[in-house]
Amino acid sequence: MGDLDLGFLAQLVVNGVVTGGVYVLVAIGLTLIFGVLGIVNFAHGELYMLGGYFGLVAATVLKLDFFSALCLAMAGVAILGVIAERVVFRPLRRRDPTDTIITSFGLAVILQNAALLIFGAQPQMIRTGLSRIPVSVWKVSLTMQRAIIPVTALVLVLILHCILRYTWTGRSLRAAAQNSVVASLVGVDINKVAAATFATGAALAAGAGVLMGSVFMMQPSTGSMIALKAFTVVILGGMGSVYGAVGAGFLLGIVESLTAGYVANELKDVVAFLIVILVLLFRPQGLFGTALVKV
Amino acid sequence: MRTYTMLMRLALAAAAVISLVPMSAMAADPIKIGVILPLSGPSSLAGSEVLTGITLAFEEVNAAGGLLGRPIEMIKEDDEGVPTKGVTAAKKLIERDNVVGIVGTYNSTVALVIAEAARAARVPVVAGGSTAISVTDANKAGDPWFFRPYPGSIEQATQSAQDVIKKLKKTRIAILYENTPYGRSLMESFEKLTAPLGATIVSKESYNQGDQDFFTQLAKLRNLKPDGVYLGGLIGEGAAIVRQAAETGLKTQFIGSGGMMSDKFIELAGPASEGFAVSTMYEPNTANQTGRAFGERYKKRFGVNANVHSALGYDGARVMTNGIAKAGVTDRVKIRDAIVAAKSLPLVEGPPGTMSTFDDKGGVSFRIGLAIVKNGVRELMPFD
Amino acid sequence: MLKVALAYAAAAFMLLLPMGVTGTYVVHVAIMTMIFAILAMGLDLVLGYCGQYSFAQGAFFGLGAYASALLALHFGLPFVVTLPLAVVIAAAAGVLLGIPALRLSGHFLAITTIAFQIVVYLIMAQWYGLTHGMEGLSGIPAVGSVQILGTTLARFDTPNGMYYLTLALFGLSVLIAVRLARSRIGLEWLAIHDDELLARALGVDSMRRKVLAFAVSAAMAGAAGAILAHYLHSIHPAEFSVWTSATILAMTVIGGRGTVLGPILGAVLLTLLPEVLRSADEFRLIIYGALMIIFVTFFPVGLVGLLRKRGA
Repeated sequence: MGDLDLGFLAQLVVNGVVTGGVYVLVAIGLTLIFGVLGIVNFAHGELYMLGGYFGLVAATVLKLDFFSALCLAMAGVAILGVIAERVVFRPLRRRDPTDTIITSFGLAVILQNAALLIFGAQPQMIRTGLSRIPVSVWKVSLTMQRAIIPVTALVLVLILHCILRYTWTGRSLRAAAQNSVVASLVGVDINKVAAATFATGAALAAGAGVLMGSVFMMQPSTGSMIALKAFTVVILGGMGSVYGAVGAGFLLGIVESLTAGYVANELKDVVAFLIVILVLLFRPQGLFGTALVKV
Repeated sequence: MRTYTMLMRLALAAAAVISLVPMSAMAADPIKIGVILPLSGPSSLAGSEVLTGITLAFEEVNAAGGLLGRPIEMIKEDDEGVPTKGVTAAKKLIERDNVVGIVGTYNSTVALVIAEAARAARVPVVAGGSTAISVTDANKAGDPWFFRPYPGSIEQATQSAQDVIKKLKKTRIAILYENTPYGRSLMESFEKLTAPLGATIVSKESYNQGDQDFFTQLAKLRNLKPDGVYLGGLIGEGAAIVRQAAETGLKTQFIGSGGMMSDKFIELAGPASEGFAVSTMYEPNTANQTGRAFGERYKKRFGVNANVHSALGYDGARVMTNGIAKAGVTDRVKIRDAIVAAKSLPLVEGPPGTMSTFDDKGGVSFRIGLAIVKNGVRELMPFD
Repeated sequence: MLKVALAYAAAAFMLLLPMGVTGTYVVHVAIMTMIFAILAMGLDLVLGYCGQYSFAQGAFFGLGAYASALLALHFGLPFVVTLPLAVVIAAAAGVLLGIPALRLSGHFLAITTIAFQIVVYLIMAQWYGLTHGMEGLSGIPAVGSVQILGTTLARFDTPNGMYYLTLALFGLSVLIAVRLARSRIGLEWLAIHDDELLARALGVDSMRRKVLAFAVSAAMAGAAGAILAHYLHSIHPAEFSVWTSATILAMTVIGGRGTVLGPILGAVLLTLLPEVLRSADEFRLIIYGALMIIFVTFFPVGLVGLLRKRGA
């Protein structure tokens, strides 16, 4: 290996930040849903995948530009999330949590196979007008298409932060996360909170799907792996901690990239799961978190 | 009341199970041929393309009066790329549907178990795209039940290596291969030929099927500056690698394998596919007249160009139907014998004059050509 | 009284099944059903009785399968040796996972088991040198025959032979499950399920009991894996994924948790269903998912609970 090739290292870190941005978006939705509603949503990866496909349809059939397609996809999947909450999760609200894990798994199976039926199994990509020619700064090269991923992720996180901190909806969510009984006494409508939480989580996952779909190819099966990575991030960051998810998401992206570059490419995926096990065994509250939604 | 309902339930359950029992084979009008392919899952794109070739072949036979005066009925099963599903599908086709033969499948790991099940039941199988030679190697010499009417992956990689080093004159080559038997055998066969021909392998890295992100590996390669990179794997990952290479500024000659010889690859890789070299058994503008004619009929039927997958399916189906016709009866063993004996069935793949001459392990070999993508279209270099 | 009669009828049916059908398809489906029934019963001991989550059943299934296959392929050991070894290896893995993981509860435990499942899957899929990765292992030898003084008493290298072998192991599993459920251990599991703190206050060593549940269920999964390996003669990582675990979980829940019959019914339903729905192929998995949701939402007591209610 010789001396440390700083250029190579920098490239790896940048690669990691790009991937991390996607993990952050998917993980935030997952952690929000868990923190506020106590639900572990197995179908979250499918929301990400459907977001990508909605974006594909928006870009190719409706011929929208990238950002409009992004917004449309996020809105569309948010609606889907609200429907899922109403139909699949709300009836089980007072029951054994295993039940929601199974039903959300059933939902994942339905969504993934419906996508297979409707869109087919061929890999697809969202073609946007953004540049695919790499820009090189020092020894690091990056295309515009990839650079906007972490940027968009941070913008969305910022928007979410403002909503959670400064709006009534946001405060309701935080209240419900702390104590749903007291919250409803104070006038917070738990049903609206549930719908809002799912809408937000779904929209963020969909956004991630569109971003990824413009750089990498998507197929109905891409949701599963992303969901598992998102679970890792959620645990690493502390279940229910939005900022934990942000930090852990970028961290995981970078660690994976470094593993692929310096250790072995094939171990890239295993690393995430080993981290989960270690964290759960030695520090189950995660690196950054407690079990409350922290803003 | 309780006793009654319980007994009724038991009876119904028993009836349900008994109804699964296959009825004894009645002389039915159509001739049933089974088809097993991955129609869902990661290989479903290739699987569905192979299916179109098979469909065309069967339709043409039916339009010309059928086989032995009877129409062909295709019974297709999805193996999802998973061996256990392949075995279940094979057993179902052989015992419940009483097919006379099977065409399938694409993934070699699944083909291996299907061939084993069919061999035990003495049912002939013609490959649906599987190339690993382990499947034909499992045949007893002189007594094959699994047929592969095209060269195995090892031969493909060997010919690729020769073309890359001698025709394209590349001497410092890196290999990126899929971590599966298919990718591994391509890598090993390619590598074996490089030193004797005077070239060196500067790096060998594997990736997992389904991987999307190759940016890190490509950054590594950029530092090594190879003049050629051989890709041993499937079309999805191959296209992603080529596209991402352009996005990281890596300039080199990419050489592909297997399914990367299709138009879909060019579509997925985009403008970065310009200059891409790939060994190909079939192009619509092939010099092989049988192949050229097939391409025209395919275009008319489906509206898109034929590619290597549809050609494979077409040839495989024709080997089966030709065997049935030559056997003259729907006896599985006689059909198998007829396939072995049929040496003059022209194939659409390969150079002009390629015939279905099976060796004693059920494989066929012929010269594979090298094509380069120019202006978004593959152009075959001379066969030499 | 009626239950006993039904049990005998079912046993007779299963003993005579291979005689009454031609070909190997029905027997094949029956063997696969029994294998999954063993898996589901094992999981139910952990989930239904002891009340702990586990998504790792697929991983233990795979560990048993690969252990038995590798021992047979590399060391030439016969099934009679590899089966118990596979069981022991799987059980040991169950203990190894259980001891640290069972300190957690609820969602954390569930996710730890999922993570374990995925790590095991990735090892099977990506450690080519050991497991041949996505190629899977093939050429696994069949179970030999039982011979005395040169005469063959029983042959297990045929589908019918494997059917009876699987049936025997299935029967053994049922026996173990029933005995455990009715024993003091079973009662302690139920106590832990109801209220772990109270159980401990009453003198139950909950940690040991929970780990035992994990070990037993892993052991049963390991046995099921060994049978699969030597029946199909080849195994592939895709058969031991997180989806497999989730399917087994669904079988247990749909069939009825906390019973022995429940997981068996669940296995029958979810194994036969894809076969029966073959014709509606594209919709098969969608129907499957929808059924899971419907069952869990509207029939939480599972099929067993339904049958009991209707019978009353």
